[in-house]
Amino acid sequence: MEFLVWLENTAIANAIRTIPWLYPTFETGHYIGLSLLVGGIMLIDLRVLGFARPLPLKSMIGLLPFVWAGFLINVLTGSLLFIYGATTFGTNGAFLLKMAFMVLAGLNALAFDVSVRRSGGSWVAADRPPSLVKGFATLSLVFWLCVVTTGRWMAYL
Amino acid sequence: MGFLEWLQGTWVGVLVAESLWGYPLFETIHSIGMAMMIGSLGLINLRVLGVKPDLPLLDTRALLPLAWLGFTLNALSGSLLFTSDAVYFWGKYTFRIKMILIILGGINAALLGRRVFREAAAGVPAPPPAASTKWIAFSSLVFWFGAVIAGRLIAYAP
Repeated sequence: MEFLVWLENTAIANAIRTIPWLYPTFETGHYIGLSLLVGGIMLIDLRVLGFARPLPLKSMIGLLPFVWAGFLINVLTGSLLFIYGATTFGTNGAFLLKMAFMVLAGLNALAFDVSVRRSGGSWVAADRPPSLVKGFATLSLVFWLCVVTTGRWMAYL
Repeated sequence: MGFLEWLQGTWVGVLVAESLWGYPLFETIHSIGMAMMIGSLGLINLRVLGVKPDLPLLDTRALLPLAWLGFTLNALSGSLLFTSDAVYFWGKYTFRIKMILIILGGINAALLGRRVFREAAAGVPAPPPAASTKWIAFSSLVFWFGAVIAGRLIAYAP
């Protein structure tokens, strides 16, 4: 709690509170990042699960840089939004759930990445994702949708 | 004004506005539909502009069902959110700008579909996109991201 109080009183947090338009700007940036991150992840996961089959699997997995760009935008804007109201957000049930889902989504992405590397990408070239990988793709969709949902509910819980 | 007041007084409007779950639920769906729609349509537009050339241009039409699903989710959830406070939303410039951007984005998507995909369906091999087609794709990205920005600012700006 002391840390949250300190965070909320840093110069940056004060600037976000006093300079008009800073908070809405970061929030808007967070939505643009969301579109890149979740839009990109969704396309990759759905392609692994067999949607949009005419598009090469390898090229669709190649959308990851867009996902990373969205992730970085959202870590940055999200951190700035957080320190603005650290004591409120840091004790918010929906926020804590959101962070938990992000950890799960991250571990899942790591497992996905390890499976791609272990196989040497052979199933990627053959366009035959193993069922384990399809399981990771399904979980990824579920976890990221939960991240969006819990994030949205922060204002109401 | 009569219609807007009637709308927010209907049982649907009252339900979305006053129930604990209504507004946040449709807001959540609106965010998910946004990611779906911008992700798929955005990728098609970027491909027309020459980004990700390893994706076969004509085959990007396989993404259209997802774009339509996202659009439908957002038209529905957006209408329900609007219903909850119709007079307020209609009075906002940001809301009106958002609607104009969506109409422009829709016209652009239809134009792009005709140019890029219609001839392909007839079996004509696709030439690389013309400069004018690239302008449509570029302005489409501007319109849709503009709609996201205007939508987010409804809560903060007149």
